[in-house]
Amino acid sequence: MDEVRSRQQDGQLTIELSGRIDSGNASRIEEEVFAAVGDYMGSRLMVDVENLEYISSAGLRILLRLLKKHRKLRIINASSDIYEILEMTGFTEMMDVEKAYRSVSIEGCEVIGAGANGTVYRINDELVVKVYKDADALEDIRRERELARLALVLGIPTAISYDVVRVGDSYGSVFELLNARSFSGILAQQPEKMDWCVKEYVDLLKLIHSTRVPKGKLPSMRQIALDWARFVRDYLPEEEGEKLVSLVKEVPEDPHMIHGDYHTKNLELTGDEVLLIDMDTLAVGHPVFEFASMYNAFVGFGEYDNSVTQKFMGFERERAGEFWRRSLKAYLGTEDEDRVKEVEDKARVIGYTRLIRRSIRRGGLEDPERLAEIELWKERLIQLLHRVDSLVFTGSRIRLEATKENLHLMNDFLEKELEKAGCSVREKMQIQVAAEEVFINIANYAYTPNTGEAVMIVDVEDDPRTLVLTFIDQGRPYDPTKKEDPDVSLPADQREIGGLGIFMVKQSMDDMAYEYRDGSNILTLKKRLVNE
Amino acid sequence: MTIDKIQDGAKLKVKVSGRLDTTTAPELEDDLKKSLDGVEELVMDFSELEYISSAGLRVLLSSQKIMNKQGTMEVIGVNSTIMEIFEVTGFIDILTIR
Repeated sequence: MDEVRSRQQDGQLTIELSGRIDSGNASRIEEEVFAAVGDYMGSRLMVDVENLEYISSAGLRILLRLLKKHRKLRIINASSDIYEILEMTGFTEMMDVEKAYRSVSIEGCEVIGAGANGTVYRINDELVVKVYKDADALEDIRRERELARLALVLGIPTAISYDVVRVGDSYGSVFELLNARSFSGILAQQPEKMDWCVKEYVDLLKLIHSTRVPKGKLPSMRQIALDWARFVRDYLPEEEGEKLVSLVKEVPEDPHMIHGDYHTKNLELTGDEVLLIDMDTLAVGHPVFEFASMYNAFVGFGEYDNSVTQKFMGFERERAGEFWRRSLKAYLGTEDEDRVKEVEDKARVIGYTRLIRRSIRRGGLEDPERLAEIELWKERLIQLLHRVDSLVFTGSRIRLEATKENLHLMNDFLEKELEKAGCSVREKMQIQVAAEEVFINIANYAYTPNTGEAVMIVDVEDDPRTLVLTFIDQGRPYDPTKKEDPDVSLPADQREIGGLGIFMVKQSMDDMAYEYRDGSNILTLKKRLVNE
Repeated sequence: MTIDKIQDGAKLKVKVSGRLDTTTAPELEDDLKKSLDGVEELVMDFSELEYISSAGLRVLLSSQKIMNKQGTMEVIGVNSTIMEIFEVTGFIDILTIR
C-alpha cells in the first residue's frame, strides 16, 4: 500500500504516487492526494510519478481535478510507459510533464570547467555533463539551453545540451563534445599553439560582438554593471564612488551580444570546429564589459594571490597575461602599446568593481586575507578612477605619420573596415574620397614645415546605421567646416586648379563636425549606411 | 593605377585603370604633359577606373584646360559612382562625357 506520499521543501510540495492506480483504488487515492495537498496554495506543486507503474482513466481524473485547483501542476519523473499514457490522452498538452531522468555518476570523472552555476565533468570521450549547484537546477538548465539556442540561431557556434540527467541530488545537462579539448588545455600542453589560439579566440569574439540580438532577448550588461558600481560605491571615497557610477551610466546601451565569461576554458576545439560553451552569462552590451571579465579571468583574479590564475586556467600566470594582451591587440588591430593600455584600463575599472563586489558579498570583509585582497583591488580601482574619463573606446583606429606616402596605409586599413561594415561599392568610394581629402590636408598643412601624426578612428553606430570617421591631429588649429564652397558652376577656364577637396568631403558625407580640444584638431565625419 | 595609351596621328586614347588618387595622380599628370603636344583629339577611357579623388579631378581639369586650346577631350566609360562625383563637383558640365 502507501501509494501516496508527500514531501515539502523550499515552498515546493511534491506528491509521490506509486504502484497501480485504477478504478479499484482511485477514489481512496484521490482522498489521500487531496489530504496531502491540504491547503497548499503555492505555485510549485509537483506530482512525482517515478514509481508509478500504471494509471487508468480513473486515475487520470484525479490529476485533472488537481489541475483545476492548481493550474501550475507539474508531473515529474514520468517513465516512458507513463509518459506514453499521458501523451496519448492529451495530458502532456494540458500540463507540464517531465520525463524521468536517467542517473549519471560523476565519480572519478575529470573536471574540465567550473563556472558560477556549476561544474563541468567529462564522462567519456564524447560526453560532458554540467552539474548545477542550485536547488533550482532544472530552471537554470532550461534557461541556459534557451540561451544556447538563441546564440546558435544567431550564428554563434555553441554546444546545446540534448539531455538532462540526475547527478546525485542535483541535475546535470549533457553535451556532446567529441574529443573536445579546451583552449586552456591546448595552451597548457602546446604553448607553441599560442598564435593559433589567439587568432581563433579573437575571431570568435568579434563574431559574438558583431551579432545583433533582438530586443528583450538578453539582459543588458550595462544595467548589471550599474548594480555592481552602485554596490561598490559605498566602499569607495565619495568622489571616486560617484565617478564610478557615472562612468558606467555614460556607457551607451549596445544591442550586440557579449558572452560575459569569455576565457580559454569556455572554448572547446572539437575536430576543426571551435565551440563556445557556458552560455548562462550571455548578455548584450558594449565590448568593454566583455573585456572586464576577460581581464579578470587572465589577470585580475590572481593579482593578490598569483597562484589563483594557474589553478583556474591550468597554465602559468605569465602565459595568461600574455594571452590577454595579445588577444586585446589582435581585437583592436593595433600594436600601439598606449592604445592597448588605454583600453585595458577601461576594462579594469569594471573588472575590479566586479571582483570587489563579489568578494564582499561572499564575506570577504570578515576574512583578513581576503580583506587584504579587496584592499589591493580597491587601491588600483581608485588609481584608475583618477585617470580614466570614459569607459567607451571606439571601434578601430590607426595612428600614422601624416604624409602622402602613408596614404595607401590609411586606405588599406579603411577599406577593410568598410568591408566589415558592409558598405556598398558606392558608399565605400564616397567615404574613401572623404578620408583621403582630410588625410592629405593634414599631411600638407597641419604640421608644415615638419610632419606629425594623424589618428583615424572608424566606428559604426546603430539606429540608424551610421559610419563615423574621426580624424585627430595635433597640428595648427584648422576648421575645415568654415571653408567656403567653390563655385562648381564655372566653366573649365575659370575654375581654379584645386580647392575641391573639402567640398568633396561635405558632398560625400552626411555630416561634418569640427572641434579643437586640448591641442588637438578633432574632425568627425558621419555617413548613413543604406545597405545593411 | 595603370596608364595605357594608343596614339593614332593627332588622336590619343588614354586608358586609366585602378585608383586615381593623391599618390597616383602626379604620374598621370606628368605622362599627359609629355604626350599632349600636337594632340587634337584626346579620349580618356575610364571604363576600368575604380576610384577618383580631388587630386584626380585636378589632372582632368588641367588637361581640359590644355585641350580647350588645341582640340577636344572626351571621357568615356564612366561608372555610376564616379559619375556622381562628377555631378556634385560640377565636372559633368566641364567635361564632355560620352
